Amino acid sequence: MAACGSTKSAANDSAAAAPATLRVALLTPGPVSDQGWNGGAFAGLNMIHDSLGARVSHVQTKTPAEFDENFRLYGEQGYTLVFGHGFEYQDAAERIAQEFPRTQYVTTSGTRTSTNLTGLEFAFEDGAYLAGIIAGAATKTGTIGAIGGQEIPPVRRSFYAFEQGARSVNPSVKMITSYVGNWDDASAGKEQALAQIARKADIIFQNADAAGLGIFQAARESKGVRVFGTNGNQNAVAPEVVLGSVVIDLPRAFLLVAREIQAGTFKPRVISLGTASNVVRLELNPALRGTIPAPALLTVDSVTKLFVAGTFKAPIPPIAAIKP
Amino acid sequence: MSSPALADFLDASVRSATPLLLAALGETVAERSGVINVGIEGTIIAGCLAGLVAATVVGPNAALLAAGIAGIGIALIFVVVAIGLAADQIITGTAITMLGLGLTSTLYRVIYGDGGAALSAPTLSVIGIPLLQDIPVVGRALFRQPLPTYLAELMVPAIWYWLHRTQSGLAIRATGENPGASLASGISTRRVQTTAVLFGGMCGGLAGGTLVLAQVGTFTEGMSAGRGFVAIAIVALGRWHPVGVAMAALVFGMASALQFLFQALNLNLPYQIFLALPYLLTLLALALTRGVYRAPAALGARKAVRG
Repeated sequence: MAACGSTKSAANDSAAAAPATLRVALLTPGPVSDQGWNGGAFAGLNMIHDSLGARVSHVQTKTPAEFDENFRLYGEQGYTLVFGHGFEYQDAAERIAQEFPRTQYVTTSGTRTSTNLTGLEFAFEDGAYLAGIIAGAATKTGTIGAIGGQEIPPVRRSFYAFEQGARSVNPSVKMITSYVGNWDDASAGKEQALAQIARKADIIFQNADAAGLGIFQAARESKGVRVFGTNGNQNAVAPEVVLGSVVIDLPRAFLLVAREIQAGTFKPRVISLGTASNVVRLELNPALRGTIPAPALLTVDSVTKLFVAGTFKAPIPPIAAIKP
Repeated sequence: MSSPALADFLDASVRSATPLLLAALGETVAERSGVINVGIEGTIIAGCLAGLVAATVVGPNAALLAAGIAGIGIALIFVVVAIGLAADQIITGTAITMLGLGLTSTLYRVIYGDGGAALSAPTLSVIGIPLLQDIPVVGRALFRQPLPTYLAELMVPAIWYWLHRTQSGLAIRATGENPGASLASGISTRRVQTTAVLFGGMCGGLAGGTLVLAQVGTFTEGMSAGRGFVAIAIVALGRWHPVGVAMAALVFGMASALQFLFQALNLNLPYQIFLALPYLLTLLALALTRGVYRAPAALGARKAVRG
């Protein structure tokens, strides 16, 4: 009841400014200081605040019970738009969205939709495929690595595309895959990387959020090892070892949704964003660009054009294709 | 396993074991005095952040000291509440863990902003002992390590001597077994427990400092990742004896290193099995060694006696 009342008063306050104030909330699975997945979402939230004058709120959640609780809390408070930042939020969002029809729930990496549930899909595998092309061409040992936080579908898809990209230019390349088991333990991330490096991996694709910082550190301490960053532009985190980053321009994607909502043109759906919308892209580190074989760079350019034209899609793993 | 691979494995074992050993040795002393501090996780993460901040100002060696002091600071809160006010130790410890994790995340964002500190901290260099470090297979694991590893190794005999050969060690053990009798014999049990817990806090802080200064080179929120709780299990596994604790920490480090190695070998098995390996081994070892030694009799006793 109290939540109901506060919603009304909030609406009344902004009545003078024509449309009701946009209220936007964000749930992240990890700390927003990870310089990647969560940091990008937080930057998106702040951009919605700065560009659209929205009132914004952020909360970090760990367990599925907390997903439900916070989705419900924002629904009760009458928020216009609530982002659950990751595939893992989809079940909770679908459940809670039914209880609060006036709130739009969006899950990033989500694939389902309803009257107030939207999936915001990224063709992250496009960028991972491009990184794979470079890795396949640049590896000197013939072994590349991929390290994730946990084995969730978007991560598995990115690793598969990375491997296929590498294979496309270097059919005999071998890939090692490891998972840290969480997204925070940077020390364990470093050890996973050192173990892969000991097995001759010399280019590692990291998709482990904050734990990934340990992977950069492992590369800095080992000779001839290069890393790809993900989600945000992580080239500056360790410029001496990061070949490039597969970037999801989360601020751009978040703003796109919020703008539609503010304009009243929003329709719940599954929104797919990728190379064509320039939301997913491979950003190379200028300092190390010269170390990448020139033919690989040309291949990356031509494949990018195919992505934009829509004539080619990065391959997705057989299991994920059946059950996204 | 070829000998370079074995050397890599042992090296990774020692690296993984070091923060656990430091934290577990500190917890051993606290528990021998009859206090179970489950807030050790909070002291570790405090040591992590203090280590990072201090390293950027005074360099990594002094930063290790700062990490230890931060651990003492967090342990002091435990002392006031659990010993001074005789509150329940488990509840206090749990609160300290949450406080440590929350406080460090908040302070980290206040100091470094949302962008974080990246990999900006200088790290401790590896100290190689001439000749010994060149011994095949074991040389690198034993004699080519950063300062905290040697510190942890030296603390094993030092703590044994303290607990078993000194007057104050006897007071700690007596308090943990029978605080009433200790008090009657003129021991200030409160003072003894306070000293033991603060020492434990320092060790937890050093463990956190090790993670940042000797391993990762930066802070990430929640990077202690449950090591405080693992340390508590290691104390039980090591039967509250410094040598036993050292061996238990090494076993746990080896299980972790085995997990890293198995994943890197690309065996076609679910990775969760490997991640569970260290914990399964701990459970197994606890079950098999049951009844060999027992915990201090007054462990966790709330307000047994005023002293």
